[in-house]
Amino acid sequence: MKQFTYTVTDALGIHARPAGQLAKMAAGFKSNISLDTPNGKADAKRIMGVMRLAVKKDMTVTITCEGEDEEAACAALSAFFAETL
Amino acid sequence: MGIFSKLFSKPLDEISSPAAGEVVPVTDVNDPTFSEEMLGKGIAIRPSEGKVVAPCDACVDMMFDTGHAVSLVADNGAEILIHIGLDTVNLKGKHYTVHAKSGDKVKKGDLLIEFDADAIAAEGYDTITPVVICNSADYKTVETLTGRTVAAGDPVIRLGK
Repeated sequence: MKQFTYTVTDALGIHARPAGQLAKMAAGFKSNISLDTPNGKADAKRIMGVMRLAVKKDMTVTITCEGEDEEAACAALSAFFAETL
Repeated sequence: MGIFSKLFSKPLDEISSPAAGEVVPVTDVNDPTFSEEMLGKGIAIRPSEGKVVAPCDACVDMMFDTGHAVSLVADNGAEILIHIGLDTVNLKGKHYTVHAKSGDKVKKGDLLIEFDADAIAAEGYDTITPVVICNSADYKTVETLTGRTVAAGDPVIRLGK
């Protein structure tokens, strides 16, 4: 299991576009990937689930990757959060 | 052959238009998030009226607090995102009035959001409204009925399992 935490700095938070980008990237990995937030938890591969969490600026989220490619998944998602959110 | 496919294929799940206007392919939308189908397959409407209604019987999964988008889980299982205008998250709720909240059970045709299309356009935003099926991968076929003008409630997407 690999995980990282990230505090959202983007003023708009995880709205439709970043939710889609995140789910698409997560779906490219075999690992189970979850997104844990103050508003609840979601499968990062499900667009609707990610959107439902309505993650806002300054919220701290935890991304957990579990599976054969967890290392690569964690690295890619960590870079995505840093760049996009 | 025709008889057997008719006998054994399940009826298609129909999603109707949440707004009146011209229906175009989602791939025509001037935003790669939608045109590359990152959020799912579907259609887009150039709305002729500032009203979005429920496209089928559903539960409101998430009413964005900005009112610019709403996601629904249809009673038939389809996960539908309606996004009013492009980049309109930046309006932070201005020009949108919400009439439903997350968790509400809605019937086809129930009013979800009203918006001032002229004011949104005057601020430089495209008011085109993508309607996409976020769980497109769960369906064998996503048939779209584009290239025509519809009233709210007319069929625009047919989903086959």
